[in-house]
Amino acid sequence: MQIYLPIAEMSLNALMLLGLGGMVGFLSGMFGVGGGFLMTPLLIFIGVPPAVAVGTEANQVVAASVSGALAHWRRGNVDFRMGIVLMIGGFIGSTLGVWLFTFLRDIGQIDFVIAVSYVLFLGIVGLLMVVESVRAWFRSRNPAAPKRKLHYHTWLHGLPFKMRFRRSKLYISALLPLGVGVFVGILAAIMGVGGGFVMVPAMIYLLGMPTSVVVGTSLFQIVFVTANVTFLQSVNNQTVDIVLAMLLVVGSVIGAQIGARVGTRLRGEEVRVALGLIVLAVCARVAWTLVVTPDDIYTLGLGGGH
Amino acid sequence: MARCILPVRLIAAALLISTALPVHAQSIVSDLSTREVAISTGFTGAELILFGATEGFGDIVVTVVGPSRDEIVRRKERIAGIWVNGASVTFEQAPAYYRIAASKPLEMIATPAVLSQLQIGSDRIELFSRSQRPTESILTFRNALIRNKKKLQLYSEDIFDIKIISGRLFRSTIPFPVNVPIGEYMVTVHLFKNGNHVSSEQTPLTVRKVGLEAKIFDFAHQHSAWYGAIAIVIALVAGWLAGVIFRRA
Repeated sequence: MQIYLPIAEMSLNALMLLGLGGMVGFLSGMFGVGGGFLMTPLLIFIGVPPAVAVGTEANQVVAASVSGALAHWRRGNVDFRMGIVLMIGGFIGSTLGVWLFTFLRDIGQIDFVIAVSYVLFLGIVGLLMVVESVRAWFRSRNPAAPKRKLHYHTWLHGLPFKMRFRRSKLYISALLPLGVGVFVGILAAIMGVGGGFVMVPAMIYLLGMPTSVVVGTSLFQIVFVTANVTFLQSVNNQTVDIVLAMLLVVGSVIGAQIGARVGTRLRGEEVRVALGLIVLAVCARVAWTLVVTPDDIYTLGLGGGH
Repeated sequence: MARCILPVRLIAAALLISTALPVHAQSIVSDLSTREVAISTGFTGAELILFGATEGFGDIVVTVVGPSRDEIVRRKERIAGIWVNGASVTFEQAPAYYRIAASKPLEMIATPAVLSQLQIGSDRIELFSRSQRPTESILTFRNALIRNKKKLQLYSEDIFDIKIISGRLFRSTIPFPVNVPIGEYMVTVHLFKNGNHVSSEQTPLTVRKVGLEAKIFDFAHQHSAWYGAIAIVIALVAGWLAGVIFRRA
């Protein structure tokens, strides 16, 4: 069942897109991640122009994170004060990111920057996940091993504009979450992701937030930041394909529910190792496209500025 | 930028038309099965039928030229083991689509000079670039443009594609791939006799999006802020709805 995508300007099988959404949704539900970092490269692999894949995926992540954000809000797992500071940073970052995206697109380097960003961040995050889970697994077998210190004091805690975040039980400089927000916002705009895979570790290790509020607060700010990316990509680049986004959303919400049910039956470390390996596999696949000699070293692009 | 070269192009076009003007005005008639290719939800490509009749025997060449636009050809370079886009050449007002069909191999129909004048054959399309690179290098980029376009099935030279019935009636199919660019097309039928260009007839053709696809595309480009806002609202509602449905289930 071929369906013509009006913005991507290509025909794809609607059932395949639903299936793709379902598969990524299943993984994201099982592992509790947004799935943007899997979906965007997959869309590019099946031939969707990278710019359209990134813009559309931002729109899909809005839908994918809103129900989770609401669920965490009801359970009181959102630190709104922290969320708003992260969100302000996220707005600044994603606005910068979309501007950078448009610039890179005009000079013909956007595909390359998207690929390099994926290799870099998926590589780092994937490795950290696998190493951390393997360590945790060894620690659980050897309880005598020394425990990690809960809180480190570094120069980061000497920054000005200190703010009290009651829900997170933190008294830290507002510049820290603001900076994290800006950074993740740039990633969201360029990579077409929510950025949870960077945001969650940053919240735990850099900000020192309690894990109970990390996921809810992260989802809360992802909704706003990806909404901002969707809006700005629509205005600046017209690369958000509503038809494609909807097919992916339908598939992914169903997949996510099934995935979440399966996920509860698995052990934490196993889940993290599996996710880390998937992240590394995607990283390797994207890296391959950068190093393999292309069939034709010449490519076509449309001129702009009429 | 493109505006300043327009007068030159117009003169060139006028010259071309004057030389191409039919010697015997009525020596060829042709039409298309439809004047419009509509891209809708289920669009997977289309095929038009071109048909017509000639006065007496002759050779027929059909060109289908799509809307012109600037095409950038980029060359990848290997830097530290990674392929990166490097040098580029922009060809201004290059046809987005170019297809040719002929009743015989081109070299048996007319001399290269005649074919060049009529821009018959993808190697003879007029491609203009302001690039300061040496001509040889531009030629490589030009060949790359044509090669890539052929790979996308947007340029093609399918000779022997025209069926001539009883020497006077002819018929050909013009395929449009799924990635066909939207815009105004021109179908030109040339009649040659003994190596001389005798007559041409042109039929315009429109490729456009129709229905919901067209509305979405136009809305995205003309009201992009609203489009973005609506995309967000749809996503929010879809996500919220999914949460509600599955919480009940």
